[in-house]
Amino acid sequence: MSAAGLKKLTIEHLRGSVAPFALPLEQGKKLTVVYGENASGKSTICDAFEFLGKGRVGSLENRGLGKTNKYWHSVGKKPTDVAVTLENLDGSSCRAIIVKSDVVANPAAFRPRVEVLRRSQILALVEAKPGDRYAAISRFIDVSGVETSEAALRQLIRDLAGNGEVALARVRENLDAIIQFWEAAGKPGTDPLSWADTESKRDPNAADAEVAALIRLQAAYSRLNDYPARLKSASDVVKRAKEAATEAEQQAQQCVLTVATDAGEVMGVLQAARAYLHKHPSPAVCPLCESAERVEGLDQRITQRLASFSTLQMAQNRTKETEAAVQRAEQQWEALRDNAKNDAEGFEKARAGFVWSADIPMPAATPQDTDSLEVWLTASAHLTAKWKNAETARQDKKQFIGTLRRALRTYMENVQAQQELDVLLPKLNRALEIVEEERRAFTDSILARIAGEVGRIYELVHPGEGLNKISLALDPSKRASLEIGASFCGETGAPPQAYFSDSHLDTFGLCVFLALAAMDDPENTILVLDDVVASVDEPHVERLIEMLYAEAIEFRHCLITTHYRPWKEKLRWGWLKNGQCQFVELAKWTNQHGLTLIRSVPDVERLRILLAETPPDPQLVCAKAGVILEAALDFLTQLYECSVPRRPGGPYTLGDLLPSIAKKLRNALQVEVLARDAAGALSYQTKSLTPILDELIRIAQARNVFGCHFNALSFELLDSDAIGFGQKVLELIETLADPDAGWPRNSKSGKYWANSGETRRLHPLQQPT
Amino acid sequence: MDTPSQALATRITERLVREGLITAEAAKRLQPKFAEGKLRPEDWRLPIELAEKKEAKP
Repeated sequence: MSAAGLKKLTIEHLRGSVAPFALPLEQGKKLTVVYGENASGKSTICDAFEFLGKGRVGSLENRGLGKTNKYWHSVGKKPTDVAVTLENLDGSSCRAIIVKSDVVANPAAFRPRVEVLRRSQILALVEAKPGDRYAAISRFIDVSGVETSEAALRQLIRDLAGNGEVALARVRENLDAIIQFWEAAGKPGTDPLSWADTESKRDPNAADAEVAALIRLQAAYSRLNDYPARLKSASDVVKRAKEAATEAEQQAQQCVLTVATDAGEVMGVLQAARAYLHKHPSPAVCPLCESAERVEGLDQRITQRLASFSTLQMAQNRTKETEAAVQRAEQQWEALRDNAKNDAEGFEKARAGFVWSADIPMPAATPQDTDSLEVWLTASAHLTAKWKNAETARQDKKQFIGTLRRALRTYMENVQAQQELDVLLPKLNRALEIVEEERRAFTDSILARIAGEVGRIYELVHPGEGLNKISLALDPSKRASLEIGASFCGETGAPPQAYFSDSHLDTFGLCVFLALAAMDDPENTILVLDDVVASVDEPHVERLIEMLYAEAIEFRHCLITTHYRPWKEKLRWGWLKNGQCQFVELAKWTNQHGLTLIRSVPDVERLRILLAETPPDPQLVCAKAGVILEAALDFLTQLYECSVPRRPGGPYTLGDLLPSIAKKLRNALQVEVLARDAAGALSYQTKSLTPILDELIRIAQARNVFGCHFNALSFELLDSDAIGFGQKVLELIETLADPDAGWPRNSKSGKYWANSGETRRLHPLQQPT
Repeated sequence: MDTPSQALATRITERLVREGLITAEAAKRLQPKFAEGKLRPEDWRLPIELAEKKEAKP
């Protein structure tokens, strides 16, 4: 939805507006031309729009001022005094003020979209570096989001292509392994893969029970293996213990014989006495004979006698120890024999408790007698290696099935992955092609649209010069870099900066700005052009102005400031399409009043006002009508290439111009005037200029008599002659030109001259011969 | 108003659908992330595989 039309702009203390300034905007006119001499405040009006729309004051930028905020307010005012208010025709408005150092617009929803181009910025985009140029138009062609997603697709393709190579290598690797297994197995079946499929379906645990039985059998056999040696060793220990006991017994008997017959009993009595004296030291009498004689020193004497019996005692102790050792050795030997018998039974269980495969040899039954064990072990010793081999063979078989199964599974998986990739990758590649194609086409089409638009607008100003073939292209070797080219002398893609004149470049810069602004939501955009016409050379100004008129209607509103005086004069004479344009003139700026408006009234309108006064002033009417008639005759004589007296310097007078409209032409001149009838329908009414011109020839002297100089002849004439002259001129100009649509200067029809919108069609096209 | 990325993402997904590379439903889901640059490699694979399976079904 497009935003409402503008009603009024009010500027308070921004830049040159030392006093509040209001710019009323005429309803129904989307173009406002603000004319003013230098230092009249034109840029302040542009600043106000930029302040409101963008929160900045661009006219101060790039002037070496650094941060410009401190210069935004008028001299003698504070930043808080600054305000810009834009009122709209629908009653809404938006007011921008400075809060701290920020511009705050309230309500933000009604903040207008504003694009400002100043004279100093016209060439900014054309002369910018390609990267900066790209930045300026990136809002139209920035597809970085799509590019990032495109990169992800490219990455996926790269990864999958890598995965495909790995899968292929694995397919080969696993097929080689299967072929090797197949060859090692003697190439059974028709081919390695069907063989591997059959083999891998075998139960890898089928031999587990036999392997477990083999392990048990070997463990049982291993336990029996050292019994013969251990039994012999135990038997030797018994034998040696017995020999030691016999020897100790003999030595003890020899000792008893040596000491005394009853030495043993005496030694027992002495030991008992010493134990008694430990408990009852220093007795008064002997505990055996109860005599007090020689009781003193009894303890020492008992100790001395016992010492003489120690050898006998040691021999007796030795005898006891060797007897105990014999007993222990005999117990150990018995226990070992029992264990041997048990382990032999264990082996027998392991041997007889499983149905062995034919390739596993078994020994004879284990002997019942441990003495025969050694012989049995010797006879069966060679079997242990065979059992081990049988176990290893079965373990290897199990492992082989596992390995084969894994190899086959990996092979199948990678073959499948490869097949899936063979289908997927072409589709992904096609998707990437589409993304790349569409992205290029998208950006190219936008660039072509912008370039076409620039060329179209440029052609309006420079028709037929062949400079309208504009190209915009992204540099494929650089990111975000925009090259700009134009046609010049048959060469396309030439940098305009290198070939165009300054004036052509200025127009070009303006066209680029307009084309970009028109692409970005123009119906909601206020376009502000600050004095951009002044840099264009004279022959192109009129077409530039026509172009601006044509382009302005695309925007919400267009405001153009200018100090180009001919524009003012052409508006004054109604040469331009005043109907869609509001013309505003600024008086010279003063530090007391700031910006002020001057009422500008076109001359035709002024004549109408003079004629409407009561009573009309004949002198003023004639003067104004004379100037307008000269303008009309100047226009007609140029249009029909009439003969006019040639003289050096000085303008043509009414006396020169009026007779130059030859009778044949005068009789042929007629105008089709587009007008609404009573019912409101538009239709052409043909009006001849002949009677008007004839009458003007008759009364033209009135102008000189009344309107130019003091002339006593005027005393003789009636005021009504002067007023009649004025009325006839008004009739001529109203027939010939439309105050809103200008003068008929266009011969495109090939039949007549027409003004804009063809509200006037002037016949004939050429002077009759 | 669509950003350039959004407009382009719409154009591309519409063409991918036309060429049978993704389904219309997948295109709808893809579009926002596509325009924002948030599509990861696996986000591309799945819809293309799904369209392929759908196409393969009798």
